[in-house]
This record gives sequence, structure tokens and C-alpha cells, in this order.
Amino acid sequence: MNGWILAAVVVLAAGVGATLWGVVTGPLRRRAAAQNLSTALACPALLLLAQGYARPAYVDLALVLAVLGPVGTLVFARLLADELADDPPHARGPTLTAAALGAAVVLAVSLATGPGRALVKVLVVGALLVGGNLVASRALAGGMQEARRD
Amino acid sequence: MTEALIVTALLLVAGSATAAVAVRDPVRQSLVLAVLGVVLAVLFTVLQAPDVALSQLAVGSALTPLLLLLTVRKVRRRGQRAAGGGGGSDGRRGGGSGP
Repeated sequence: MNGWILAAVVVLAAGVGATLWGVVTGPLRRRAAAQNLSTALACPALLLLAQGYARPAYVDLALVLAVLGPVGTLVFARLLADELADDPPHARGPTLTAAALGAAVVLAVSLATGPGRALVKVLVVGALLVGGNLVASRALAGGMQEARRD
Repeated sequence: MTEALIVTALLLVAGSATAAVAVRDPVRQSLVLAVLGVVLAVLFTVLQAPDVALSQLAVGSALTPLLLLLTVRKVRRRGQRAAGGGGGSDGRRGGGSGP
């Protein structure tokens, strides 16, 4: 229909499809990192869908996912700490790629939104998305272990 | 373009749901279930049902994996106590892991 929907299709097929492959195969560390990346990639897709359907109310979905996605990853990091301790998942490259994609999508959507309350909402979603993604990835990579050792 | 979007979301849901059935270890299954919850929420959004997608996100992305992992943890601890604590002298060390 328009470019936003096309971008959402690309993000869903390439990004979320790749994380689905990562969460199905491989060792446990790769699966945990892929689960973290799946929420970090689905949130920009939801933002693109909200813009593509021209319905600003759909941004709420991205907001909820940006809050709850890192929470889910922290649940895994806490409850799988023993299994992940000897081989912690370091996915620096994919995490930074997902964060950059999220920042780019938020920038584009906020440019298309224009000034107003909707812009503030989109920017809050972007800050939660990028910050939560980085914090959750760090917790997976061993931050939880250090916190427990103290 | 909308059809391509719906087909993509449907394929993702079908793939993750099949994987959630095919994976046998409960811990890895909970990881696949978390991804399935997110992908289902995307499918509901694509089908213009954002209210259903909101509740699916709230339940599927954090709550279901949390319940599954807590259950696995409790079962494992009970199994360890039953296997290792024949004398029963170590008491109820791991009793308070419930939510």
C-alpha cells in the first residue's frame, strides 16, 4: 500500500524471521540472545505498521512491547542464570544492529509525525526501546551474575 | 502489499508454533513461546485487532515464560531433593521459590 508497510514487511520477514531461526536452533546462549532480539525487532515493525495504517493509536502496542520485551528478557536472564553462567551470550554486533534499526525507524516515524503529543510518545517509545534493549542484552551477557556476586 | 504483510505474519506464526511443539526441552520451549507471543501480537495487529494484540503482548511476552520457568525450577529442585536427600537432614532449603 505504501512504503511504511513495505518497510514493516521487510523488518518482519528478515529481522523477526532471522531471530525465529536463531531461537529454534543452536545452543541455549544463542536462543536467549535471539529471544531478546525478537522483541527489539518487532517493536520497530509495530511502529512502522502504526504509521503505515495512519492510526496513531497503534503506537500503544509498540509502547507496551518496548516496556515488556526487556522485562521478559530479564526474566530469562534471572531464571536461566545458572545455565548461562559458564557460557554467557555475547551478541554485541546483532544487538547494536537492532538498536540502530530501532533508532532509525523512530527517527523516520517522528519526522513523519510532526510536532505535537504524538511526537513525544514516539520519542518515549524509542528511548525505552533502545535503552531497554541495551540493558537487557547486558544483563544476558553477565550483568546479572555480577549483581548476584556482590 | 497488505496481503504480503498478512502472509508474512501468518508464516512467522506457523513457523514459531511448529517450533514450539517440536522443541522438547521445557526451558528452550519457553524461549520459543516468548517469540510466539510477540509474533502472534504482530499478526493480530495486521488483522486490525489491536486490543487483542495488547492483551496478547502482556500475557505472551513476559508472563507465560515466567510461569513456565518458575515451574521448571520448582520441579527440578524437588527432583534433586528427592534424589539426593535420602536422610532428609538438609531441611527445607529451597522451599521459597514461589512467586
